[in-house]
Amino acid sequence: MGEESKVIFPLFGILDVTGEVVMMWIILAVITVISLIVRHNLKERPGIFQNVIETGVEYLDNFFGDLLGREKSRRYFSFLAALFIFIIFANYSGLFPGVGQTDYVKAPTSSLSVTAGLGIVSFVFLQIAGLRAGVKHYFKRFVSPMFFMLPLLLLDEFIKPASLALRLFGNVFGEEMVTEELYSIFPIGVPVVMMALSLLFCALQAMVFTMLVSIYLDEETEAE
Amino acid sequence: MKTEIIALAAAIAISVSTLGPAIGQGLTAKSAMESIARQPDAAKDIRSTLIISLALMEALTIYGLLIAFMLVAKI
Repeated sequence: MGEESKVIFPLFGILDVTGEVVMMWIILAVITVISLIVRHNLKERPGIFQNVIETGVEYLDNFFGDLLGREKSRRYFSFLAALFIFIIFANYSGLFPGVGQTDYVKAPTSSLSVTAGLGIVSFVFLQIAGLRAGVKHYFKRFVSPMFFMLPLLLLDEFIKPASLALRLFGNVFGEEMVTEELYSIFPIGVPVVMMALSLLFCALQAMVFTMLVSIYLDEETEAE
Repeated sequence: MKTEIIALAAAIAISVSTLGPAIGQGLTAKSAMESIARQPDAAKDIRSTLIISLALMEALTIYGLLIAFMLVAKI
């Protein structure tokens, strides 16, 4: 898609580490540290920090519960919530000053490779979840309601992750580009408008991604 | 001459691909508002369906945007 990332240094001689990868490491470290701190200080009467985290988790639980139903959402909660948290952190990381300006740190989701990776992960997850919910139902879905729908439904299965990846990439990349253009037109004040809008869009994109994954999941694991 | 045509193509790609989804999203939001006004109890369900359908329409614009960026990169 005409995008290229500058390789900072090759890891073990073969794995090319780019700015996106560095940013993902930072995000992983931040999320891990937050979870460790919260888990270490779990209390019956939560403090401020634990309260904030609990509110977030409760929000996610309700969000997926509304889409999938209580029992199913609890079963797949770990994957869906991890996806949501990672994407929202990755989107917001692009708003920090300096991120995206240099080659060393870039917002991960502004690269098609990362979003395509997320798409592939959710594709594999959907197939496994569908097969585990029932092999017969999984294969029956491709030939219902009619047999001749098979090629279309097969194609649809591969278009889903591709469109997920392209949507996320296009939104985040487009936002960064627009902010950059505004910055080059008039550097003082004007980009803030777009960045304030980005605050909304970043959360919305993370929501849309996980929402669509859970809707596909609902379709695949439908009880007969 | 070639760069001018590419620039024009990029402009057309993004503007045309914005037009259709914009109309569609407007209509969707309009009917969602109306149904929320008529039935405030169902606002929660309507809102999530609204966001999904808006996102699906948004994807078309994003494809146009990507094509426009690819064309601009060629100049």
